[in-house]
Amino acid sequence: MTPFVLTRDLCKTYQKGTVPIPVLQGVSLEVAKGEYVSVVGRSGSGKSTLLNLLGGLDTATSGRIVVGDSDVTSMSRQDLAVHRRSTVGMIFQSFNLIPSRTALENITLALAFGGYPRSDRRRRASELLSSVGLEHRLSHTPGELSGGEAQRVAIARALANAPDVLLADEPTGNLDSKTAEEIVGLLVALNSERGLTVVMVSHDEATAREVSHRVFRLLDGRVIDELSGRADG
Amino acid sequence: MTPPDLWRLSLENLWRTKLRSVLTTLGVVIGIGALVSMVSFGVGMQENVTSEFRENDLFTSMQVLPAKIDVGEIMAGGFEPPQTVKALNDSAVEAIRAIPAVELAFPEIRFPVTVRMMGKEARTSLQAVPAAMGRYKPFSEIPYGSFYASELVPISVDSLIGREVEIVSSTLDLQSAARAFMRSFTAPSRLPLREEVVRLRVVGVRGRLSGFGAARFRGGVIVPIETGAAMPRLGFSDVWDLLDSSEGTQGYGSVYVRTRGMDDITPVREAVEEMGFGVLAVIDELEEIKQTFLIMDALLGAVGTIALIVAALGIINTMVTSILERTREIGVMKAVGGSETDIRWIFFLEAATIGFIGGAFGLALGWAVTRIANVVANHYLRPQGVPEVDLFYMPVWLIAGALVFSVGVSLLAGFYPASRAARVDPVQALRHD
Repeated sequence: MTPFVLTRDLCKTYQKGTVPIPVLQGVSLEVAKGEYVSVVGRSGSGKSTLLNLLGGLDTATSGRIVVGDSDVTSMSRQDLAVHRRSTVGMIFQSFNLIPSRTALENITLALAFGGYPRSDRRRRASELLSSVGLEHRLSHTPGELSGGEAQRVAIARALANAPDVLLADEPTGNLDSKTAEEIVGLLVALNSERGLTVVMVSHDEATAREVSHRVFRLLDGRVIDELSGRADG
Repeated sequence: MTPPDLWRLSLENLWRTKLRSVLTTLGVVIGIGALVSMVSFGVGMQENVTSEFRENDLFTSMQVLPAKIDVGEIMAGGFEPPQTVKALNDSAVEAIRAIPAVELAFPEIRFPVTVRMMGKEARTSLQAVPAAMGRYKPFSEIPYGSFYASELVPISVDSLIGREVEIVSSTLDLQSAARAFMRSFTAPSRLPLREEVVRLRVVGVRGRLSGFGAARFRGGVIVPIETGAAMPRLGFSDVWDLLDSSEGTQGYGSVYVRTRGMDDITPVREAVEEMGFGVLAVIDELEEIKQTFLIMDALLGAVGTIALIVAALGIINTMVTSILERTREIGVMKAVGGSETDIRWIFFLEAATIGFIGGAFGLALGWAVTRIANVVANHYLRPQGVPEVDLFYMPVWLIAGALVFSVGVSLLAGFYPASRAARVDPVQALRHD
């Protein structure tokens, strides 16, 4: 397996006043292109921090991250912005849509950052919303959408600039079980139909094993276990 | 993100918080309005004075004095009468006239008189001016009648023009002076003056003198030079006469010299000084006057700038508040690929937009204030005999400068908030609560 996403001895220590708080303490893992992996663990195990580092939202204290051909850990802040806009797409537990903008405008904003020509943005954004089943919700603001619909908008936004990797941080944490199932189903479909690499953080190990090819179990900033998931892929 | 995208985003942000944006912009409007009206007043004063100088041909004229004197020294109180004084007599005037580039030179004859006409009388001063001055301002623009065309006073017919006036000048009455001297120990005496009456005909009435005090020809009565020279009067009526009398020679107190153009002032003054006379030219003082106005403009501008600084603090306050509110949004923008440069520019452009719109409306406000102030000021000045004048002047550089200044100050005010927004940590901003 040639890894598409790779971390080597990844460490992240936060400073709380003068007290260093180690969150990640040498995480090494590899994800192949087109793979669906999950990272599970209790809260505080460092799984969200790992995802933020992969997504270029945060910088590592030591260790290496490689995504595709690029060494994320050696990137400048400007390069990290480029990494965030073109290589990865992120979705969050709390959706993180901009409340004052409509579903369509949330996506055109991402397209604008991605350098899409203005004339093309609305068309592309409505296509993306249709692909997640929201063609009837284009001009609704996040407040007018249900949780599941909001997360679909967030997924459409994450896909806006055609990323190689989708990073999902507890994507179903704020959703009821039925909606959660639909969202996970959408992620699985994106993975299997489009070959999108997915790294998902979850605290629900059972579901994670059901939908992922592999599951990493994290405890106190270390990978303590690697579990196998669904058989295909 | 492309610049138009960034700008559109800033406008959207401002539009979303309309009330706050309007209030912040209003601060800039008032600041720029104050600045513009203040500076416009200073510039207006300067413009009025310099144009007054130009009207009176002060930039092409000089005053020749019997001796070289230092005006600054007199002002400072350290003046000592010059040892040698050359007589400024008719032959001296002829010599000055012979200098190339001198257009006109004539002795300045000016003394106080009483004017009697139609049963009324008024005290004023009389000045003798040659008919040739009729070609130049302010005598080239006589609103009623005309300037005398020759040294002979013509007779014309009109309600006032053509009427006879009695010009009463005073001379020293030696007999009564002697009597007064004898009596002065016992009783207060009347001045030992004798009235001398000359009858002249009015040919024209000049316009009102403006209130800016730059007029050289302030005489209430202007008469041809020969007429003025022949009129009986006191021996001296001008400070320069005092200088002249120190040698006891027969001569004039001062001579008015007009050159062809502004550039001729320097060569002519050198030639005149070569002859041993002193020269006073207003153009020398122009630099000093300009400097005075520069200081005045700076002071007026400073008052306006204070208002603008307050407005700038308003911008900082608004934007910092807005960043606190929009922390999550900034985090989202970073998560979807916004760079620090993008975020900084979005906030910078918000500040610049506030500055530009504030500046534009501020200019409008400043203009409105100057118009209203002008009407009010003229309303109060008119009854005091001051002719209608525009006290304010808004040149193009002031308009452009105010806009640039407004945008500049706003950008400066936006610098800290924009950097702060750019530094927002997306992990903190996106942390779910």
